[in-house]
Amino acid sequence: MLDFGLIQAHTLYLAQDATATAEASGGIDFYSFVNQLLNGIGIVGVLLLTGLGLAITFGVMRIINLAHGEFIMLGAYVTFLMQSAFQMDLLLTIPFAFLGTALVGAVTELTVIRRLYGRPLETLLATWGLSIVIQGVVKLIFSAQLKYVKSPPYISGNLLLMTRQDGTPLISISYYRLFIIAIALLMLGITLYLLYKTPLGRQVRAVAQNRDMAKCLGVNTSLIDLLTFAYGCGLAGIAGAVISSLKSVSPPMGQDYLVDAWMVVVTGGVDKLIGVLAGSFLIGESNAAIAYVLNDPVARVIVLAAVIVLIRYRPEGLFTVQKRA
Amino acid sequence: MTQVLDGVQRSTFPVKLFITAGIVFLIFFILPFLVGVFQTALISKLLLFGALAISLDLVWGFTGILSFAHGVFFTLGGYAMAYYLKLNLSSTNNNYGVELPDFMVWNGLEQLPWFIAPLKFFPVAVLAIVLVPAVFAYIIGWFIFRSKVSGVYITIITLAISSALTTLFISQQAYTGGTNGITDVAILTLLGIEITDINLYWVILIFTTLVLAGSLWLTRSNLGLILRSINENERRISYLGYDVASFKIFIWTLSAAIAGMAGGLFVPLNRFISPVYLAVAFGTQVVIWVAIGGRGTLFGPLIAALLLGQVQNYAERVTQDWQLIVGILLLVVVLFLPKGLMGLVPRINPNKLLMPSPNPSAGYVQARLFDWFTPLQGAFRTAQEWLIRGKRRH
Repeated sequence: MLDFGLIQAHTLYLAQDATATAEASGGIDFYSFVNQLLNGIGIVGVLLLTGLGLAITFGVMRIINLAHGEFIMLGAYVTFLMQSAFQMDLLLTIPFAFLGTALVGAVTELTVIRRLYGRPLETLLATWGLSIVIQGVVKLIFSAQLKYVKSPPYISGNLLLMTRQDGTPLISISYYRLFIIAIALLMLGITLYLLYKTPLGRQVRAVAQNRDMAKCLGVNTSLIDLLTFAYGCGLAGIAGAVISSLKSVSPPMGQDYLVDAWMVVVTGGVDKLIGVLAGSFLIGESNAAIAYVLNDPVARVIVLAAVIVLIRYRPEGLFTVQKRA
Repeated sequence: MTQVLDGVQRSTFPVKLFITAGIVFLIFFILPFLVGVFQTALISKLLLFGALAISLDLVWGFTGILSFAHGVFFTLGGYAMAYYLKLNLSSTNNNYGVELPDFMVWNGLEQLPWFIAPLKFFPVAVLAIVLVPAVFAYIIGWFIFRSKVSGVYITIITLAISSALTTLFISQQAYTGGTNGITDVAILTLLGIEITDINLYWVILIFTTLVLAGSLWLTRSNLGLILRSINENERRISYLGYDVASFKIFIWTLSAAIAGMAGGLFVPLNRFISPVYLAVAFGTQVVIWVAIGGRGTLFGPLIAALLLGQVQNYAERVTQDWQLIVGILLLVVVLFLPKGLMGLVPRINPNKLLMPSPNPSAGYVQARLFDWFTPLQGAFRTAQEWLIRGKRRH
């Protein structure tokens, strides 16, 4: 049963549909602008999910992981595999996506990343190489064909917030976007809890702050590195699972999210995990707002340019407390 | 006395190197007669990619700035040339019998945009091929190197630039031809003579040779020494009184100009240019050539581009998974051969190859070149101060 190609992905990606309505009505209409901002919530969710894993690997471990997009892609493929093999619901595949990508992440840490600690540029290159290899292997196994993932039927449709007298929707948001942002916030909460309320999280933060001292105090730093990296990759896998039904699943899909995820992490700063939320909110909503006035590609270019300017003046991110040198 | 001087002269002049280089150049020069038309075109393309890889090696291998944006500089030069060739299509070849290129007609443009129109003239086009990438790089360099932004963030910025420009060029269909880029361009003619593929090959061969020789000369001069020192220990160099940012901006701009020229030569050969070459994937390709060839060796990236291109040509007939092989190769090189494949070649005389020649006036010309370049920055700074002062007054 591999005929998911017939089932159309029910949600158009990001904000394209809303832009169309804006153009149709002509001029800046308040309601369609609100709709556009609500659609922006969907983008925020995607960005938050994709950025969160990166915030762990980059923020906590200082690893420049350019294979992050490929871990997202792996998560999406795990979901596809689970669905086509066991007819599993998308929600149920999320733990498998997490475990699958975390496993690949652990293997990566053991074989590649571990050898390159303290050499950021080499890590960057190695992870690029890795991303090409992962793409190649996935292409070998699943072929380059687009795959489609079915979204659960009970979260299709729109939540109507405001309707006209005749019942046509005025302000609405699709349940899927709400679902994405809910999962994203849930993952953020879980990560925060793990990092700040558990002994393991304390060890992770200790290793991030002062590796040698942590080692002296008996923390098994290499195990912590392994677990942290695997967890970051697992989060990417969850992102992939949730995103998989938005667009088709294909080997190069991760590349689309890589640059965006990096922009989120760089904008928010990695000092506090909450920066990722702020970063994704800022980028997602400004993208939606600019796209409403102009159009999608131009919005993307403007946002990217703004982020470049931001990196120039605040490479540590917007929401980082200035530390004394 | 003269004999002693003669001896000194001979010891500093690398005779063997020159003879070897001459022989290699000659072999490449007569190559079009030995191999077919297809191979000639392929080798021309690979030589240009080699020049592009050398230009990246100048900034990455020597100065330590890893850039994924060199494909962007290459493509900007390419677009300048493509506009020139497209605008000079004779009206019989032009589908619509009007001055306007076909993709502009399709997208409903009435007349040529003012910023593209001057590219109809050859001198303007040649200037644009060098200046557009160079000025773009200069602005970026001026913007990022005079800040506390460190190596990794610069790389992320180059990624963002590449990604943003790809989106921009695809979306501005009326001006850039969108995803298809600029296709069906005219054959390059100089002084009324059509440049054939074989002539183009020689032009490209000479260009790449000049780029290689110039880069060798530059990196073995005092300037090259400073660049390498920046790579080794930036802070110390700045404590010694060197303006690190100026050196970085200089080499960054120069490298972009070389990349732009390579792109300009690429279009008459390839007959089209498209956002494919702007995208991160192509920028990565360049990085891979340099990494596999060996950073800071100049020969390495060129050889890697030539060899990998040839292998790719044959491998793609057999397997679909050439990229996978490249990825594995890159991983192996990063993990086990940090100096790239050139690191496997034993160094015969490291002193002669690495150190600047003992000739005391060796760095003079480069220093002049650098002096000549700094007033531009001076002008920029004055303008900046003027702007700030103007703002305060209000």
